[in-house]
Amino acid sequence: MGEFKVHRVRFFNYVPSAIRCVAYNNHSNRLAVSRTDGTVEIYNLSANYFQEKFFPGHESRATEALCWAEGQRLFSAGLNGEIIEYDLQALKIKYAMDAFGGPIWSMAASPSGSQLLIGCEDGSVKLFQITPDKIQFERNFDRQKSRILSLSWHPSGTHIAAGSIDYISVFDVKSGSAVRKMIVDRQYMGVSKRKCIVWGVAFLSDGTIISVDSAGKVQFWDSATGTLVKSHLIANADVQSIAVANQEDSFVVGTAEGTVFHFQLVPVTSNSSEKQWVRTKPFQHHTHDVRTVAHSPTSLISGGTDTHLVIRPLMEKLEVKNYDAALRKITFPHRRLISCSRKRQLLLFQFAHHLELWRLGSTVATGKMGDPENIICSCISPCGSWIAYSTASRFFLYRLNYEHDNISLKRVSKMPAFLRSALQILFSEDSTKLFVASNQGTLHIVQLSGGSFKHLHAFQPQSGTVEAMCLLAVSPDGNWLAASGTSAGVHLHCTVPAYNFPVTAMAIAPNTNNLVIAHSDQQVFEYSIPDKHYTDWSRTVQKHGFHHLWLQRDTPITHISFHPKRPMHILLHDAYMFCIIDKSLPLPNDKTLLYNPFPPTNESDVVQRRTAHAFKISKIYKPLLFMDLLDERTLVAVERPLDDIIAQLPPPIKKKKFGT
Amino acid sequence: MVQLRPRASRAPVSAEAMVDEGQPTSEEEAEHGLLLGQPSSGAAAEPLEEDEEGDEEFDDEAPEELTFASAQAEAREEERRVRETVRRDKTLLKEKRKRREELFIEQKKRKLLPDTILEKLTTASQTNIKKSPGKVKEVNLQKKNEDCERGNDSKKVKVQKVQSVSQNKSYLAVRLKDQDLRAARQQAAQAFIHNSLYGPGTNRTTVNKFLSLANKRLPVKRAAVQFLNNAWGIQKKQNAKRFKRRWMVRKMKTKK
Repeated sequence: MGEFKVHRVRFFNYVPSAIRCVAYNNHSNRLAVSRTDGTVEIYNLSANYFQEKFFPGHESRATEALCWAEGQRLFSAGLNGEIIEYDLQALKIKYAMDAFGGPIWSMAASPSGSQLLIGCEDGSVKLFQITPDKIQFERNFDRQKSRILSLSWHPSGTHIAAGSIDYISVFDVKSGSAVRKMIVDRQYMGVSKRKCIVWGVAFLSDGTIISVDSAGKVQFWDSATGTLVKSHLIANADVQSIAVANQEDSFVVGTAEGTVFHFQLVPVTSNSSEKQWVRTKPFQHHTHDVRTVAHSPTSLISGGTDTHLVIRPLMEKLEVKNYDAALRKITFPHRRLISCSRKRQLLLFQFAHHLELWRLGSTVATGKMGDPENIICSCISPCGSWIAYSTASRFFLYRLNYEHDNISLKRVSKMPAFLRSALQILFSEDSTKLFVASNQGTLHIVQLSGGSFKHLHAFQPQSGTVEAMCLLAVSPDGNWLAASGTSAGVHLHCTVPAYNFPVTAMAIAPNTNNLVIAHSDQQVFEYSIPDKHYTDWSRTVQKHGFHHLWLQRDTPITHISFHPKRPMHILLHDAYMFCIIDKSLPLPNDKTLLYNPFPPTNESDVVQRRTAHAFKISKIYKPLLFMDLLDERTLVAVERPLDDIIAQLPPPIKKKKFGT
Repeated sequence: MVQLRPRASRAPVSAEAMVDEGQPTSEEEAEHGLLLGQPSSGAAAEPLEEDEEGDEEFDDEAPEELTFASAQAEAREEERRVRETVRRDKTLLKEKRKRREELFIEQKKRKLLPDTILEKLTTASQTNIKKSPGKVKEVNLQKKNEDCERGNDSKKVKVQKVQSVSQNKSYLAVRLKDQDLRAARQQAAQAFIHNSLYGPGTNRTTVNKFLSLANKRLPVKRAAVQFLNNAWGIQKKQNAKRFKRRWMVRKMKTKK
């Protein structure tokens, strides 16, 4: 294996933004997550919870509500008063429509999926009709006194419950008038000066309204009579979110203390038909406010200010109890935010609004953007003389000049019109070519020379599909380029056989021109490009199968690289381990230890040879955001300890523990 | 009954006071005053005027003898002159104002875009509001909005991106007042959320204290997660550093 010198980098001050809303789509088993900086990410829950698409954020967009409508359409509404529809194919925003009601606090799609309801700052509830290409304002309901913070449709679509400050109103959809108004107590069994904010409401089909408010209560109301049926005090702080399952036999609430409670409808006695709502399970997976929860048929999903997305499968809903039933906590990004220039030992860190360029040893330059838009992707060329990055609407290219240890940046102006917004940028190995994957599905090749550039070629999308190209890989000799789309097809001059799990990382080996692809279900394939078929090693691995511990890893592989002198080695890493695959050694079967400890030197050679296998895994550096080979003897590892992220989060609710 | 002679004031009565806005009345008043000045007897008027003039001149000469009629005529002339000057001033002012107004209108017209573009914008305005990405030029057109409002029914005029072939650029015209309103509302909404979650009355603590709670309950108690406060006494530390440098320099000098 050899010995390496490792540069451990811990100064990448990456803090993810808090999760604000979560929306689960039952038909496609996808989860849309929106964060406080306006980014919307789409996770494919059936592909091992991989983040397959994301929409970059914008400073003025403060999303407060997210929902799916019929036909896989995603809408979001925020405090800037606009309803935004997202184009999931082209990965951009279709349009933003102003609702003229002030900041929008809540949004709900009707059970049929054809109407959209929003609750605004001025107390009005507006109904929109969803037309095939846009949404159209239909009418206003009765205006209420204070802002409408939560909305819920009755499953039949005839009534609406709207939660506001200190009261809940029930509207009739046809007439638009408020039928009932229920006043919420400010405190459970008491009086309080602070107003009670109803953070969430849910309307069940038997007419029960469940409300969660800032006094820590979960209350059940009868909408026909407008009376309180039952009240549960579950927390000392706000209860901020509620989500009901489709079968209406269970719902989940999230509190500001980080606890998530599961309520279920259970029979009163074991053989009676009468049922009641009982609080069954508390889960403490978060440290800060849980601002949003979702209930899928088999699991509870929660997200909040501590930036983790936690997916807790429910044991009673799963048929097969295997590793799928474990808790999933998604903390680190599933994309690469760091690029490295090997020759000059430079690292480029991508933040939301600026880029930082570091030389191993000292900081060099920081570029700051004035744009309110977030940066989508960035890249530095291997020779270290070009930096390119892209936002949702513009593309930037900078040239670096080196004079005696100082670095100066010079912007290349006059970008061509077609280079508008790029999903992925990559430089060729000799830094003469720039590959840009735009979100219209075209792939542009630009030739860089001296201080100028020239557009060489544009690959149009094959077979007429407008699909966004997400990952790029280029061969070191500059002959081959691989691009993968969002739906798991890898395109070269030919097409790699499709696999139903999305690609998480790709790289082309230097001499053999083998394309190594890692998928989200932890499968690794090796495809030989000149021969246009899978290599023998790849076939043996597939026949043999991976070790079960390898397949049970949580986080996807985000980067693959190669050793220049050893063609049999593949270096890959995910958030919690890095691994060097030695293709010459035998493969491990399920009985052998996958994570070999440090090889004991006092064991005999025979024993060592017998237990050695191809996967050399090290878990020393974690959590890893990036790992790469700088030269033959040096590695660079960018770590981000979780404590450093937590130290920069907003204040949590105080917990009183006995003895402190 | 003795009619007391109303004394004319010592201070010279200013012409304007006499010739006020209500000119005929002042004339009457003036006449009245003069009439009153001669309290129903011509003989009394003369010595009054004589008295005044005598006080003013301080001469041994005998004062001038003016007939009443001439004095009246003089006074009337003065009034007329004063009135005319005031009228002239007024007309001058009016003209000035008119000229200024015209100048302003011209300047405003110059500030507006040429008519062709305005026409295009008014015809192309929709109720859709779309802030398009791409090169956007925001033009402050407040006068133009007034024109638009006359033409359209929409309250808020936010115009679509206009592709004008002749000029080869696309821009969006947005009313600045709306933007300010919207920003203010968004700020207010965010302040509401911040207040309700982190404001007074909520039971919040720092992350440091939160994470150190576990350390307090361990069997071997440990320090807090972030024990050192590096932001304490920054000014003091800086002063100390500076002093130390200066003291070292001084020490080196005295040693040499």
